[in-house]
Amino acid sequence: MQEEVEKYRKPTRILHWVHAGAFTLLFLTGLVLFIPPLGPLAQDGWTRLLHRIAAVVFVVAPLIYIPMNWKTTLKGIKEAFTWGVEDLGWLKAAPLYYFVCDEKAMPPQGHMNTGQKMWWFLVIAFGLLFVITGAIMWFAKTTAPPALLQWVVFIHDVAFIVTGLMFFVHIYMSVVHPLVRPLRSGAWSSMARGKVSVDYAKSHHGKWYEEITERRRTAAK
Amino acid sequence: MDKAILYDSTLCTACRACQVACKQWNENEAVETTNQGSYENPSDLTPETWLKIEFREVERRGKVDWLFNRRACMHCTDAACVKVCPTDALRHHELGFVTYDKELCSGCGYCVDFCPFHVPRSDRNLITGMAKMDKCTFCTTPGLDRIAAGYEPACVKSCPTDALKYGDRSELLAEGKKRVEALQAEGYINAYLYGERELGGLHVMYVLKDSPEVYGLPVHPEVPAAAIAWQDVIQPLGWAVGGLTLIGLGLNYLVAREAKMTRDLPGGKKEESNARRG
Repeated sequence: MQEEVEKYRKPTRILHWVHAGAFTLLFLTGLVLFIPPLGPLAQDGWTRLLHRIAAVVFVVAPLIYIPMNWKTTLKGIKEAFTWGVEDLGWLKAAPLYYFVCDEKAMPPQGHMNTGQKMWWFLVIAFGLLFVITGAIMWFAKTTAPPALLQWVVFIHDVAFIVTGLMFFVHIYMSVVHPLVRPLRSGAWSSMARGKVSVDYAKSHHGKWYEEITERRRTAAK
Repeated sequence: MDKAILYDSTLCTACRACQVACKQWNENEAVETTNQGSYENPSDLTPETWLKIEFREVERRGKVDWLFNRRACMHCTDAACVKVCPTDALRHHELGFVTYDKELCSGCGYCVDFCPFHVPRSDRNLITGMAKMDKCTFCTTPGLDRIAAGYEPACVKSCPTDALKYGDRSELLAEGKKRVEALQAEGYINAYLYGERELGGLHVMYVLKDSPEVYGLPVHPEVPAAAIAWQDVIQPLGWAVGGLTLIGLGLNYLVAREAKMTRDLPGGKKEESNARRG
């Protein structure tokens, strides 16, 4: 067995999977209104009931996680919104890196690479948009002016399209793309078991690996 | 050949036989109401009240004029409700009006929010979101379909003054125009045939002796811009971008896998292979 390093702590992984499950259910119960032949599945509104149950999980899960893990949360937000030269490098190298697996072009990345930082931004921005517009449709459906409700549905739908597509991109980038494999030591493993192989850490998050080995060295002294 | 109802407000005596006939035929329960200081009753459309007569007192030439107006689905040609209904519960009948299959209704309430006449109504459980919409179906409710049976709608049948007429839309249009011209000749210069052109032509047309706003009708009813932006722009765009994304991911996989396999083969570029392994 190869040496491994911890990428995500257990509470973070639990939040990820609970949120992923809620999002999947929200996505599917929303999709039935998007594909006309699936419309009859929404008959009598039971998909809306599921949608609402999933929505509660979607909102409550981070509300429980954040106060219990506020250090990790702050660190994550700071990380996602701090961009450096390696992020500029990522943007330049990404097409060659992801299409022809040119790993030399890619500058060493931190704990989060630039793509993951952008994913965070998307999750926060569209998550809030979903929750606000969803809450209006849930609680103000009979009281809000129709013109507001019309545009709220529109915004909810735009958010659905954007996040729905990025959902596929996210799955692809984490378990399908040749560079994030093998599953047992790569990206999948980081979120499933919390650990990645040292090889994977070095080749995909070189800057982060440097940081943790440096920290370990200092601690040992 | 489109069918329609012509409502002549000037012939209407507000007896409300149509209201009762509508409830009776469609098996909608009577609702207990309270006196609002007017003969107008009930005070608004509800899931059980698909048709009601409105009473208005308007001062004209120093006299009070009592105006009556029919409130029910206008059965638009450009129907916003049909456009936004995700389950096809709302559809255009082959004779032009807007039919409704309640079984298919998901209770999303989009038609309630988008109707320019604010006609569809639903009772909504605010916690679970369970709801069913209701509105006038032009007497085509499955099982209670008068039109398929060759009858006129129940409201028309009950009207004692012929203020309501059912027939070919083109004939009723000509008749409505004639009546409006007669009203104008009598001095009602603002007399108007509502529904000739509104929303691509309504399947319920009104002969009015004054302009529509006097009767509380929208002067320029339109399919809301949000419905067009949503159904005609964003959703097709979503499909296109979605398709391209999935195709893109598929192509990316094929190209990247090929590149990686070539590189990892023994005798492939060693340097890169080492880099990958760290």
